[in-house]
This record gives sequence, C-alpha cells and structure tokens, in this order.
Amino acid sequence: MTILTEDDPASAPAPLPRAPAAGHVEPDPVAVAVHLRPAQRRGLVEHFAPTDPPRSLDVARHPVVARLLRNRRLQFLLILPNQIVFWAVILLGLLGTVVPGLNFGTAITWYLWFCLVFVMMVVVGRAWCAMCPFGGFGEWIQRRALWRRTQKALGLGRKLPEPIAQYGFLISVGSFLLLTWIEETFNIAGPGAPHATSWMVVGIVSSALVFFLAFERRTFCRYICPLSALIGTVGAMGSVAGFRTRDREVCVSCATKDCMRGSSSGYGCPWYTWPGSADSNLACGLCTECYKSCPSDNIGLFLQKPMTSVVAPSRRRFDVAWAVSVLWGLVIFQQVNATNIYASADGWLNRTLHMRYPDPVDYVGIIAGVALVMGGIAWVVQRVLARADVTVPAGGTGYLDRTSRFRMWFVPLMYGLIPVVGADYFARQLPKFFKHVPRLVPAIGAWFGAGSTHSSLYNLHLLANPRIVTVQVVVIALGTLAAVSTSWRIAGRDLAPLSSRPLAARLTAAGLALACGLAASILYVIMHAAS
Amino acid sequence: MTLAPSRPTDQRDPAHHAGPMVTVLTDRCAGCQECVVRCPTGALGMDPARWVARAEASLCVGCRQCVRTCPFSAIAVEGPMLVAERSALAAASPSSLPGDVAETRLGFASWDEALAEAARCLDCPDPTCVRGCPTHNDIPGFVRALAARDLDAAHRVLRRTTVLPDVCSRVCDQALQCEGSCSWSLAGGRPVAVGALERFVTERAPVPPPTPAHAALGGERGASLEVAIVGSGPAGIAAAWELVEAGAHVTVYDKAAKPGGLLDWGIPDFTLPSAVAERPWAQLVEAGVELRCGTAVSAEDLERLAAENDAVLLAHGAGVPVVPKVPGVDLDGVEDASTFLERAHVALTGRTRLADLDTAAGARNSAAVVLVLGAGNTAMDVARSARRLGARAVCVDWMDERFAPVRPDELDEARAEGVDVLFSSTVVALEGASGHVTRAVLATTRQERRDRRPEVLAGKTSVVEVDCVVLAMGYRTDTSLAAGQRDLPVVKSVEQYPDRRTVASGILANPAPPFARHQPVGRLALARESARVAAGFARAARVWVAGDALVGPSTVVEAMAQGKSAAVAILAHQPRRPGVAPLPPRHVVVVVDSVGGRTRSAATVIADILATTGASVETCRVEDATRSVLARADLLVVGSWTEGLVVAKVGPSRATRAFLDSLPPLPGLRSVVFCTFGVSPRGTLAAMRDALAERGAEVVASAAFGPGKLAERAAVFGHSLHSELWPGGDLDADLDGASRRGALRVVER
Repeated sequence: MTILTEDDPASAPAPLPRAPAAGHVEPDPVAVAVHLRPAQRRGLVEHFAPTDPPRSLDVARHPVVARLLRNRRLQFLLILPNQIVFWAVILLGLLGTVVPGLNFGTAITWYLWFCLVFVMMVVVGRAWCAMCPFGGFGEWIQRRALWRRTQKALGLGRKLPEPIAQYGFLISVGSFLLLTWIEETFNIAGPGAPHATSWMVVGIVSSALVFFLAFERRTFCRYICPLSALIGTVGAMGSVAGFRTRDREVCVSCATKDCMRGSSSGYGCPWYTWPGSADSNLACGLCTECYKSCPSDNIGLFLQKPMTSVVAPSRRRFDVAWAVSVLWGLVIFQQVNATNIYASADGWLNRTLHMRYPDPVDYVGIIAGVALVMGGIAWVVQRVLARADVTVPAGGTGYLDRTSRFRMWFVPLMYGLIPVVGADYFARQLPKFFKHVPRLVPAIGAWFGAGSTHSSLYNLHLLANPRIVTVQVVVIALGTLAAVSTSWRIAGRDLAPLSSRPLAARLTAAGLALACGLAASILYVIMHAAS
Repeated sequence: MTLAPSRPTDQRDPAHHAGPMVTVLTDRCAGCQECVVRCPTGALGMDPARWVARAEASLCVGCRQCVRTCPFSAIAVEGPMLVAERSALAAASPSSLPGDVAETRLGFASWDEALAEAARCLDCPDPTCVRGCPTHNDIPGFVRALAARDLDAAHRVLRRTTVLPDVCSRVCDQALQCEGSCSWSLAGGRPVAVGALERFVTERAPVPPPTPAHAALGGERGASLEVAIVGSGPAGIAAAWELVEAGAHVTVYDKAAKPGGLLDWGIPDFTLPSAVAERPWAQLVEAGVELRCGTAVSAEDLERLAAENDAVLLAHGAGVPVVPKVPGVDLDGVEDASTFLERAHVALTGRTRLADLDTAAGARNSAAVVLVLGAGNTAMDVARSARRLGARAVCVDWMDERFAPVRPDELDEARAEGVDVLFSSTVVALEGASGHVTRAVLATTRQERRDRRPEVLAGKTSVVEVDCVVLAMGYRTDTSLAAGQRDLPVVKSVEQYPDRRTVASGILANPAPPFARHQPVGRLALARESARVAAGFARAARVWVAGDALVGPSTVVEAMAQGKSAAVAILAHQPRRPGVAPLPPRHVVVVVDSVGGRTRSAATVIADILATTGASVETCRVEDATRSVLARADLLVVGSWTEGLVVAKVGPSRATRAFLDSLPPLPGLRSVVFCTFGVSPRGTLAAMRDALAERGAEVVASAAFGPGKLAERAAVFGHSLHSELWPGGDLDADLDGASRRGALRVVER
C-alpha cells in the first residue's frame, strides 16, 4: 500500500469545482437548451430537520479520515480479513476436527463472530455490512474487481421485480426465519457438527453470488440477506448515522446525482440510498462509494446520538414495523424453546404430527403468534385511544404505501420496541460467548495439532451461570429502559396527536416496552431454571 | 412554456385505465427528484410526508422520461403514449427521371402541418434531442418559436449553433441524431419531425446572413485576428462565419473553382438544390470573407500561411478515395465517386449529357451501365445521378443487406428509381478492351454477423457488362498537408465514464430505439461529441483542424459543428503570429488533485489571485477536467499532491499521472505546475513538467509547497505568476521585496 507523504490537515478550502465567471467563455450549447424544473423544496426542512446530525459530528471532516474514505482499497481491506476467516471456516469445518468446540470454524463463528455482529449492530449500525465477506465476495465478482472502479459489471444486472421488492425488508425477515429454522434443525449454532456450519456458510456465499450475478448493485444485501432486516432494524440504535449530505441544498440542486449513478471515482450507491434523503442508518451499508463519487465533496460520515434512527425518522416503514414484531417473535421462540413447558408441549406435538424438532408448526406458530399479539395490542390501543376526528391520509397502492388507522398506530409502537428486541438478541448470544470464547485458542492450536479438549482454556468459562443470567437480565433491563424512553418519545411525537388521551397513549407505549422487557427477563430466569 | 401535446381521446381506453399509469416504487424511491425536474409535463411532484415522488396520472403523457432518468429504477410507466400521429411528409415522384434534378423529399406544405408537428414537441426540460444533434441545436427552443409563428426568433435560436439549417435539414440522417434521441423515440414511439420543422423555418424565412453585429454577444472578440482557412466545405463555412462575425479577417483557400466543397459537388441536386448549397458562400463573401478558389495549398504554402496569419484552420476534407485491390482498377472508365458526382452535377445542372456515357450507349445501342462499387449513401447518390443521366445503375457491396450502413430511406428511394443494389456481392476483377473497362467479374459473399468480415464464396461468379465503374467505397484523409497531422484522423470514441450530464439526461437509457434503426443513439452522440471537442484543440502551434480532415469521412453537420468549435477556440485563445506580442491569458483552468485538502487550498489561493487579473478562472478536480474544459484554457495550472514512500516511488499522485497521460497534444499552451509535499517532492515537478512538455505545452513556472505556511507560499507563487504573465497588471497585494525574492525562489524550485 502506498504511504502518503503529504497533504496534511489544512483549513477547509472552498469546495471544487468552481465555474468560470460568466461571459468569458462560449456557453455550452447543451446547457443553454436545458431548463430543468425547479426541485420541490416545500416540506424539505421540516422532513429532515429531526434526523439531520449536527455538522460537528461529521468525522469525514478530519483529513486523515477523509483520506481513508477516499481510498478505494478501504472496503477491500475491511472485507479481506473476514473473507480469509470465512473461507477458513468452510475448509476447516469440512476438513478439521469433528469436535465442534475444538474446530476453528464452529468456534469462531458461534462463540465470537455472532456475538460481535450484535455488538457492532447495537453500537454502530451496518458496520458488519461494510466488512461482510459474503456480500463482499459477490461484489468482487459482480464488479470484476477487488477495489478498482470498473464499468463492465458481470451478470444480468436485473432489478428485483416490484411485486417482490414492495415488501422491502420483510423478504430478509423471511430468509432469516428460514435460516434459523435450518440452523435449529441441524443444530448448526449449538454448535453441532462443524461441517454443518461449513455448508451453511457455503449456502450463504453461493446464494449471495447467484443474486449478485442475477441482479444489480447489492440487491442481495438490501432485500435477501438473512441478516439485513435484523441489522437494519436493531442497527437503528447505533451511533453511526452513515453517509449523509453536508448541505442538502447542494444535493437537491445537483443535476447529475453521481452518488446514485456512479462516477469515475466511485460506484452508484449499492444499497439504493441517496445521502440527500437518508433519514436513518437503515439502508446505509457504510460502503463509502457516495463519499468517493460526489463531485461536490458534499457527503460526510456522521455520528449520531444512540437511538436517533429509532426515534427521529419522520418516514417510518410498515415493513420495518412488522420486521420488529416478527423478529421479536423469533427471539421469544428461541427463549421459550429452552423451557420445560415447551419441551413437553413440543414433544406432544411432534408425536401427534409425526415431526421432529423444530416442528415448523410450533416454530411458525409461536413466531406468528407473538407478532400477531403485537399487532393485536396495537389494534386494541388504537381502538381505545384514537381520536375519531383524525382522518387517515391518502396512500398509494403498494404494500409500503397503503395507509390505515392501524398502521398509524402499529408502526410507531413497533419502532419504539427496537431497543428491547435488540437487547434480547444480544443477550441470547452471551452464554456462548462467556462460556466458550476461550476455546478459540485451542481451536487455533488444533490446526497445528496442539489444541485439545483437555486444555485448560477449552474448559475455561469467562462467566458461569447464574452470573450469565444476571448479565442477560441487566442487558435486557438496559434495553428495556432504552425502549421505554424511545416509546415514550415516539408516542409523544407520533401518537399523541392522534389520540384522544395523549398521556395515556404515551404511557401505553412505554408500558408495552416495559412488558416486553419483563417478559424477556422472566424467560431468561425460567430458561436458567430449566437448564 | 410547455406546448400542450395533442391528447386524442380515442387513444384512451375508457374500459380500463385512461392513459398511461405511473407507479413509483417507494421502497427504492430515494426522493432525489431527478424525475421531477425532468418531467416534460410536470406530472411528477414530491409527497412531502414521505419524501418520495408522486405522480399525477392525469398529466402524464407516457414519454417515460422519468423511467430513463431515475437512478434507482424506482418508477415504472405503463400504457400508451399520448401524442398525435407524426405528420407524413410527401415525396416527389418525377414522371421522367432522366434530366430531372428536382428535390425528391419535400417539406411541410402548410403552416397547419408544421404547427401540428410542432405541437408534438414536449419541450423537455432536459432535451435529449439537443444532445443527439451533433451541433446541439436548441431544438425545443426553435420549435417553440415556430409554434409562436416567430420565424425570426427561430432563426436566432438556430444561429447560436448552426449556420447551415437549410442544408442540414435536408441532408442529415435525423433518425440517428436529433429525431432518434427525441423522448418519443427513446420511449419506443415516433419522434417529432425535427428535420422537417427546421426545413420549414428556412423555407418560410431565408437564413439571415452573417453580420458582425451578431458579435454584440461577445464584442469585437476577433477584431485584430487574421485567420486562414484551407477548404470551403461545411467546416470552413462554419468557422469563417463565426470568425467574420467576431470581426476577424478571414481568408479561405479552396483548390476547386467554386466554393462549398462537398455541398457544391458531393451532394446531388435532387437532395440538396444548388440554390441552397450556394447560399452560405454568397452570404459569406458579402460579409467580407476573402475567398481564393482554384488555390491548392501545399505543405510549404501552409508554413507560409502560418507565418502570415494568427491562426490557420485546415478543413480540406477527406478526399483520397479508397481503391479496391482488384485487377483492372486502373482501366479507363474507372473513376472515384467525387469525380463522377462533380461531372454529373455539371452535366445535370447544365442540362448536358456525360459524353462518355453517351458514347458507350451509342456504341452498344442500349443504355450505358454504371457499376458502383459500394452501397453506402455516396454510392446511392452516384447511382441515382447515373439514373438521371439516362444510364442503368448497379451497386455492389460485399456486406449483407442487414448490416449495410446505408440509410434505409435512401436505399428505398434508389430502388424505386430503378437502381439495382446487389448486397453480398463483390467485384473480383475488372476487364477491358483497348484500355477501357467493359466487364466486371462479380463473386458472391457471405456475412453472418455485423462484426464479421464478409467472406468471398469460391466458384460463385458472374459477369456484368459495364461502361463505367465508380468507386464509392469510402475516402481517407489526406495527411500530407502538415506536420501535427500524423495522428489523424481522430477516432471518435466514448469515454469509459461518459459525461455525467449526458448520463443523467437518460439518452443512454434506451440504447437502441426502433426509430433509430436500433442504433445506440446516446453512444453515437457521445462519440460525435468527442470529435467536436477535439476540433477545439490546436494540432500544431496555431493550427487547428476540423471536419473530414480531422475525423475522416463524416457528415455535413459534424463538419460544421467542428468548424465552429475550432473557430470558438481560436477566438478564445487569441493566438498571435510570430513577431506580435502574445496576449496575457484570458481563460485559466486550474486542475487539482488533492486527497486531504492542502493541494486544494493552495489551488484556491492561486486561483483567487489569478482571478484578480480579470481572466476567467475555472478550478476543477482532475476527474472533472474533461477535454471540453481543457479546450477553453489558454493557461493551464496543474496541482498535485506528492505520492510515495518518503524516498521511494515519489511522484505526482496516481490520479494526476492518469490525467497527464490522457492529455491531448497541447502545442504552445502556457502551463504551470505545482505540488504539495510532506518530506520531499523529489522528481514530482519534473515529471509533471515533462508530461506537459511532451505534448508541446510551454511550462512557464513550477513550485513545490512543503509543510507549513502553505497559504502564504501559494500566495507568493500566485503573485509571481500574476506579474510574470500579466505584465503591467495591477498587483493588488502588498508584496514587499523579501516576498518577491521568496516568490522567485519558489518558482525556481
């Protein structure tokens, strides 16, 4: 890599390019004939004011960061280590020891990686997406380049058809449910047989590759990836707002939108996001392409206060609301299935239906049940608290565009629960981390024939029960506190004006968050008792 | 003003949805408003609550401009295009072909027809037709004026970009240019008949003559310039027009006896009547352009012209015919197309006959047979002229008809006039008696793909009795005229990352509309544009080249656009012949590559100081320094940061190197280089200087700025440039003696 020997911090100069003074040169004959309509600015400030991070939180203003972000190799260097690790996971899972705790593939995937992904999600947002080896691999192939900007993409470059794309992140939720069901079936994350983990990774990489070759940009990451909806929703708690416009007026009056279409310096946004209108970090993959391709140096990498992307957006999405409730259902299922009551009920059901764990009936049943309960609560709340004189605004015909009184209540209530859902997923990963992460050392040693199940590190627990449960409950408590706060604020802004009893609406939203937190905590205690 | 397109109610299906249906895919719509600002009818707006585009279906006419311009493909339009039928133009069908020179294509017969067609124009906010037009006529602008029945205004709009509207409207292949790029065409429909509308303007009101008063726009920009132009074809006409209007003294040399070049002898009267072809030169001579016909210019003459004039423009065309390597091609009776067309033009307009054809016909007691080698547009002109001379005409071309580059309308017209066009057929030998060609041996060929060379099939030959053979297989540029033409012709090319505004306009989004014969109109436009821009760069010191001389055989409109481009460059650069003091720079372009901001700061400081001279100063990143930006520069400042490993591989940044490597020849261009560095610049400045000098640029100053006191050092350098290049100018900064010495030191580094 080239080491740069100059161009250090300096006072911010006027942005380039600067046009010549009028009248000195022959006018461009095309420009003379172009008379674009004025862009609409009505409602612009009001729409984005709550979500625009302050200028002071733009880390790209720092010249060292700017230089890093400008470097085309940055993404490659973020992806490369993960790429190496995951090809190692595949190979060692198939060829290495069959002891799951001693196999590097299973050990790093389930004791460390999955937990780290949740930490990154909660703290940053889509940090994982910026370094993901699955999408990264597909993208290298699709672009026929590791880091260079190329023009001739490999593959068909299709768009995801609208009848499917209209469901937004729900497709990703569906693939997460499917993957989790497969994982439960083969006990992949247990971890079970190491080759199962290998085949799972091979499955993800190859399906990613198929989608990257069939569709344009990061259609896979945006719509299909099993983790996309989870990272997108839970990542809203994160403190990185993503790449956003520095001066919205420059973006609105930009006639070329290189950040979306690409230029010689960078690709168009692979995530279908425009920095000029991003109001949350939901669909910013932190890939730096917009930063590189903007001709006006008008894009910054902004930090934000935690929970900003949960509370602030004025354009809330129905798909995200259902994603929250379904993901909540999934994590509750995972907690419930570790209890004695479930074990006996599941056993009876399996005998009756001649199935085996995880019986898709109770798997889907519990998840759908929880999601529908959340929907039901929202429906009851709006029946009780909605003001009769509030009219439902007209909507479109697509799934995301339709409007109803139910949606007006359900969506804000679910957004408010994001922190408790995120905390619950995070807490779920803690036992494996605390109990087994030291096994990584013997697992690496096993490559060289040095690791053994008798090693002291193999049997070392960073924490043991009941301390782990205590930590889990503390995590849930923190998440619940955050969710109570976000629900209270969201309800104050979005639900109070719709409600005949504004205070009751806010209390109900906060109460729902509290109830969810309590339920999760109690389940952890019951799970511990069961084990 | 938006012209209301006709909305015939019968196109709406009352049983289903009325008119086109617009769907905004809100999951992908990022609210960027690219569709909103470009919608011709204002059917798109923003939903302020969700900040996504919202369509008002009742205003939509189905032109699909939004679909082509949406960066994320987040909008879909289904349903009919609500536009009236394109007006059909009458074609003349002469009762007796021999001797007939009347135009075969006619324009609109009445105002009503023209107005109905004008009403089909959507007056698009980002008109793709303008990009498709090689000279970028403001088509919606003149159509708007025409619709308001203001022909003077229409001429004023056209004059900004063309001096041959009457010619171009007759000879252009609009399907691959303006009409092929019309929104309706890109949407799969039939475009506005732009050519016919332009012709209507010129038929109802004559093209106004050049007038130095027109220079009111730019003042007497060329008052003291003396320019020699070699060649009086379309490129020479456009350049002379532009220069004489700016007040320059223009002398035009042509080896032919009459001016006009290709317009005079190359295009038959049935396509371009003599009265139209002669109009430009009548007006130019009247306006004071000195015309020296019958004067061939040799390489030595060119040196003399360059010494005596401030600038020379070579626009002598591509006159060297491509001669096939077949036996008998040197027999009498074998001639090239331009010779034949010239003789045919004289014979037809003089109402005489071609003596040799007559003799041949007399000897064989039947119509003479003219065999035309080639079946392109020139070949059609030859064959149709031959038909008018009373001969039989046979065209042979070894390409498959499916892949032949001939205009389908011209092919149809030629066939309707009785021309035999044999595709997949080639001449393998010409045979003669007493030195005169009498027979041609033809072989069959096969071509299965457009990009494959046709192959000659063995054994399948036939013989045709001929009286005259005309070579119409293309022309090459004569590069013997001057040094600096070694790398000619310029290849028209599309950059890997095309102009961003062109991409945004959506012209590239439908790569092959049916009306454009499934040709990639957007890429064709970009390729033509590369040649137009290239014409703005001098090929040798004070020598510009335009038209077919620059790019090889091309079209009238492209030659005209290039001639104008060269003239604009001459006026911008204001070159001075040897012995006359050069003017200080007037158009400074500062190109900078900065990674952390220091180089950019230095560039800004220098640019601000140079701007105090009154020169226009344009500052841009290396990525944005396109050729059209560079063509304007008479002082080029290049700034780079220093890349490398402290001592190893130290040099200009990668992007700067790429920029310098991509530069065209810049003979005589004054230039300045500077760099910023952390430890040592080592060979950075030398590398930059060498790259510019290699292209003929004159590097007048260079400087390297180390860590610390950047703004101060850049200011000192800027001021030293100021005093060096603008002698006698006001140096408004308070530079003391020490700073001046500092400036010199900086410059010497």
